[in-house]
Amino acid sequence: MRFPRKPVLGFLLCCALLHSSAFAQRAKPPGFPDGPGKDVLLAKCFQCHAPTMWQDHRQDRRGWESVLYRMVGRGALWTEDEIGTMAGYLAAAYPRQPAATPK
Amino acid sequence: MRELVARYLSRNISRRGFLKGLTTAGVSLTAAEAILDSLVPLANAQEASRVAPEAIKVVEGTGGEVFAEQLIASGVKYVFGNSASEDAQFYEALVDRPQLRYILTPHEGPGAAMAAGYVKASGEPAIVMQAAVVGMVNAMGQMFNAFKEQTPLVFYSYRTDQSGRAGRDGFEEVANQEQIVQPMTKYSWLARRPDMIPETVRRGFKAAWTPPHGPSYISWHSDFNDQKTYTEIVTQDKVDPRMRVRPNPVEVERAAKLLVEAKMPLLIAGDELYGAKASPKAVKLAELLGMPVTQVRQIYANFPEGHPLWVGSPPAARIASLDFPKTPDVVINVGNKLQHNSPQPLVGREAKFIDMRIDSWSMGNVMNTEVPLVADVGYGLDDLTAAVEGLMTPALKKKAQERAEEVRRFSEKAKALRALVSKNPEWDRSPMLADRVTSEVARFADKDAIIVHEAGSVVLHGFDFNPAGGRELFFYYGAHLGSGVGTAAGVKLARPNQQVICLVGDGSFVFGPTALWNMARLELPVITVVYNNHAYGGPHSRVIEKTAGGKMVQKRQFVHDYLGSPDMNMALIAKGFGVDAEVAESPEQLRAALGRARKATVEGKPYLIDAQVARMGVAWADKPWIPPISIARERTRKV
Repeated sequence: MRFPRKPVLGFLLCCALLHSSAFAQRAKPPGFPDGPGKDVLLAKCFQCHAPTMWQDHRQDRRGWESVLYRMVGRGALWTEDEIGTMAGYLAAAYPRQPAATPK
Repeated sequence: MRELVARYLSRNISRRGFLKGLTTAGVSLTAAEAILDSLVPLANAQEASRVAPEAIKVVEGTGGEVFAEQLIASGVKYVFGNSASEDAQFYEALVDRPQLRYILTPHEGPGAAMAAGYVKASGEPAIVMQAAVVGMVNAMGQMFNAFKEQTPLVFYSYRTDQSGRAGRDGFEEVANQEQIVQPMTKYSWLARRPDMIPETVRRGFKAAWTPPHGPSYISWHSDFNDQKTYTEIVTQDKVDPRMRVRPNPVEVERAAKLLVEAKMPLLIAGDELYGAKASPKAVKLAELLGMPVTQVRQIYANFPEGHPLWVGSPPAARIASLDFPKTPDVVINVGNKLQHNSPQPLVGREAKFIDMRIDSWSMGNVMNTEVPLVADVGYGLDDLTAAVEGLMTPALKKKAQERAEEVRRFSEKAKALRALVSKNPEWDRSPMLADRVTSEVARFADKDAIIVHEAGSVVLHGFDFNPAGGRELFFYYGAHLGSGVGTAAGVKLARPNQQVICLVGDGSFVFGPTALWNMARLELPVITVVYNNHAYGGPHSRVIEKTAGGKMVQKRQFVHDYLGSPDMNMALIAKGFGVDAEVAESPEQLRAALGRARKATVEGKPYLIDAQVARMGVAWADKPWIPPISIARERTRKV
């Protein structure tokens, strides 16, 4: 299939290509600790994304903000406050960690 | 016998008299009947020339000549082809027929993309030629695109196996060549005799251009091109059914009633609007009802994005993911294929669904359709708008105005929120964010620029496309990659007086850069911007999603996505094809490069910018791992 060969950027994928199992997961995404901003995040992100997209991503607040603003470029309609709240939550729940050393 | 033939063709003797004459001369009855059968096309041709000489003419010449003659009669101005020795007589015919302009394309794929771009941007017929099956399979990727995008493009390739030796597994021979393309053409056919070449050509164009449009394929044994024949050439309008269909008036009334009674109707715009030049009619219907408008995946932007009733595209390709309206109770689709990429229906079952399209074949495939309106969307919108106007009472008009105001408020808010993309803390970084590249190009583009978009998963913003005289979009809906550069060349060929900008990802670009050479040779001043992150970004993310927490992520070992080490320099590739180019690392460099691109295009020259884009996403290392394969080190002899 040629369509998936998307050569640019593309951190996250529209759920148009996801399996039905991913939809089932999306109803109650696991792995998201309670914290300020969780409700906003769950309300805004999971119509397009499966939780597995997030599981392995670790960044500081600036990095998460950048991710969220890139989603604005892909059609997400969020206010600056909402983006700030989500970035704060993600930076706390999924903070930057030392990168694994390639072997 | 020659005299008998002449007398028969000039109607001086009857069919029976002709047979009797031959048998008297010693020819067996069976042989005489065979000779008579072979004369039927000639007799018909002569008859036709007597009946309508302005539309039909009888031509004697090689198969290649009558092929060329029929292309002219079918309205073709451009032939896109790759060198094919068995088309010699066709090339010979072009010498005396300058009105048929041959574009030599160095690879059949981008060549077909160029032809498709020309057809889409001009609305004129074209043919793309390949050398036998070996060229045909190169073109088939773009044939797939034409099939998915419903582009009326005619493909031709001869069979290298000649009629006297076919079936012997000869050079470049494959059994049933014309059948290979059947699943993705509207029509494919092998002409059985040289005199049937023009008829086959006509039928190919008729099939491609009768709605719903799509590609067709014609073929014949290569020796037919060399043989002398005598046959009729007919102008295409004499075989064109001119299919423009008005919708069923009963269904129109039902649709109008549903729309005026709806609390929150929603219109989905589609590519049939572009083809029918009916976007202003969709605007009129939407304004009459105060109806919000959206669009899902298509080639063109089919509704003005700056209009207050435009609510944007749904981010997750389902209507339910729209921020507004959240619960439309009546949805009308006007000309959109509604490609379904998930198990969920694109429009939820709770809404009543009206489907207005000429492509009745795909209606009801997934969607439950309350009102089917099989129609040319131009006629369909005329009739539906008239029916709605007939039902509008003062109370309904007031309701529509209030709804329009509600949509306008959302639309203005959405516009402000979309502009937040530039608040990204990495906005000024180098290498650039893809969004920054898009933003700079949107700022730079002419008000009526045509944007050819094959830039992977980049979502365009800031262009405010408007099919009614503003910026236009040509998106890679078919998704067989390598189409962008060729498409842009074809679009510029069709619309030389509009700025054409090709946005292409690095992966897409290297699938089909050869049309750059056509841009240089034909002086097609196209600006190409490559979003170059040296990676397949989309597959990177999707693979991680499917293998979350897996070994690839833990070890940062991805075999499938990194295109660097060594990095490809697209500017050097462009220069190799004769197109001036440069690499832009930063937003400032990009802005300056766009200025130089404008200067080049004003002077009639194409230009390419290799825009360096950052790899953003999960688990990208600064220096990504590559499989440790070095054949040089594995050698036992240093040769």
